[in-house]
Amino acid sequence: MSSEIELQIAPIVQESLMHNSRTFQNLQSLTASLFGVSAGILGLESYSGFLFYIIFSLLTSVLFYIIRVAPTSISSGKKPLDTSRYFLGAVDFWTGGLMNGLAGFILTWTLFYGLVSA
Amino acid sequence: MTFISKAITAVGGILLAHACYSAQEHSALQSFRATSGAALTSAPTTAVSLPLDIVLETIVSTFIILLGLVLVTRPLRPIQWREWAGKIEREGEEGFKDSNGEVNKDYIGNPFAIFESRPNFVDIRKQRKEFAQWVKKEGGQKAQ
Repeated sequence: MSSEIELQIAPIVQESLMHNSRTFQNLQSLTASLFGVSAGILGLESYSGFLFYIIFSLLTSVLFYIIRVAPTSISSGKKPLDTSRYFLGAVDFWTGGLMNGLAGFILTWTLFYGLVSA
Repeated sequence: MTFISKAITAVGGILLAHACYSAQEHSALQSFRATSGAALTSAPTTAVSLPLDIVLETIVSTFIILLGLVLVTRPLRPIQWREWAGKIEREGEEGFKDSNGEVNKDYIGNPFAIFESRPNFVDIRKQRKEFAQWVKKEGGQKAQ
């Protein structure tokens, strides 16, 4: 109920929301396959490969925040690491990419592992 | 900006391809040693992990490509209605350009523009004054 009132007071532009999340998802799926390539080249196996993916995926979020979100968000009076100017959920922004690109990551990881070590 | 980010991505791609080729050569060399070294028995044929320079090159090139890909993303738009509308009012089409300098296809502009151009709100006296000035100016140029 309270969130409905909030949405009435401060309405949200659906087109902008979709544009932002599509931009971010495109980046995540692209970079996830890139991380798969490098994990395959490094010859990582099991947990270390997934750790590699998690670290680089979080790094993607941080870089995206620094380059695209932070300059206008902080100048408009938001606190650092606050993404509410462009995205609805903060947790979704920082960790949503993990599930988003996992399939692409595993695909290119196994492919390049096979190519390099065969 | 778009040229710089594409150049960064291309440099990272070349580095990554080089690292991939090096790693492939390394593993081929390892398997060659394993087969030929068994006959010689001079050197121990333990499997050597990837050399440090290839590891570093892979990680650095991944980071460079990542930087290029983040730089090439399109600018975001504010989701709060008041910030978004303020941006439209202040910047107009300038604020909704992609990295190539073209206005986005789904840019709709001020959603209330139709209200502001209603016939009831046209300032007819101002338009008449402007028209009179225009006639005077054009007539003056003709006379010269």
